Amino acid sequence: MSKINVMFSSRPKLLSEVMRNLIERQPDMKVVGEVIDPIELIFALRMTPVDVVIITPLKVDGVPRICGQLFKEHPQLRVLILTGESEAIYIYQMGTQRKCIERPSEKLILDVIRESFYPSTG
Amino acid sequence: MAKKSIRIFIADDNCLLLEGLVSMLGEQEDFVVVGTAPNGSKALEQIKDLQPEVALIDIGMPDKDGLEVTQILHQDLPQVKVIILGLVDLTDEIMACIEAGANGYVLKESSFDHLVETIRSVHRNEAFCSPRMAASLFSRIADLTSESKIQIPVNFVKLTGRELDVISLIDEGLSNKEIAKRLFIETQTVKNHIHNILDKLQLHNRFEAVEYARERKLLKKKS
Repeated sequence: MSKINVMFSSRPKLLSEVMRNLIERQPDMKVVGEVIDPIELIFALRMTPVDVVIITPLKVDGVPRICGQLFKEHPQLRVLILTGESEAIYIYQMGTQRKCIERPSEKLILDVIRESFYPSTG
Repeated sequence: MAKKSIRIFIADDNCLLLEGLVSMLGEQEDFVVVGTAPNGSKALEQIKDLQPEVALIDIGMPDKDGLEVTQILHQDLPQVKVIILGLVDLTDEIMACIEAGANGYVLKESSFDHLVETIRSVHRNEAFCSPRMAASLFSRIADLTSESKIQIPVNFVKLTGRELDVISLIDEGLSNKEIAKRLFIETQTVKNHIHNILDKLQLHNRFEAVEYARERKLLKKKS
């Protein structure tokens, strides 16, 4: 079974490292890259195949413009957006309403990633 | 013999960060995470029960924030060393944490390795901060000093040779005019020296200045 390729654009750095460590500990997931500014994702995804991107922090008022651009080029992509202090996680997928989960734990984040990637098992 | 582990407590309302730090700090062979809390009140309760050696406290927690928790711990459990996890590199915030009794301040924008080093340093009773934070602190101290909010101990005040000449001549009973004549300077210059001496030593009159110099054996021998 192929691994789920995850890319980050997360801040602050401590949270970014914690998230990276969490993903790297999963046997079915792989961190394929990390960028500082979400806008860099557009260019990074053109170079590297990615299944899920995790972005934090961003103001989540409507679908962030970045998602529109990313989905245009990568329609299968899933975008997880963590709000500033991780009070909530928003999951975006092309053609679906965004989902919001409040106060996500590590397990919940991993479940969300797996369910969005393997919807039939979720 | 196994090395004694540093007992750590973590309080942060960011569930992901909290769980992640528990995992990552727990992987360090000299650390053991003894407890966690998602807010200030629970943190205080648990810390009192668990008595960790080092407490990592998020500054922006609900209920009781990091500063309040730090103040209470500093008062009630001074043996617990507190490291604040802050979001911004603001000198005022860092100073407030230090005044509250924090032993360290780590930005969440810092690396995990930096946090690990800070925990070890604080546990050894050492201060550990980034060069940027150190620069902020020095700048703040300089500001406070110039605003005279910090009184420099008079023991560290240095008087110039000329100021000591003036005090010694006051001790001989000379007037400003006579001192001016003796030192070949204007009377106004003598007044300026006396003004500077009193200002430096935080004294009120010339006789207190003489007393100060006499106690420290600074008076010059009469010519």
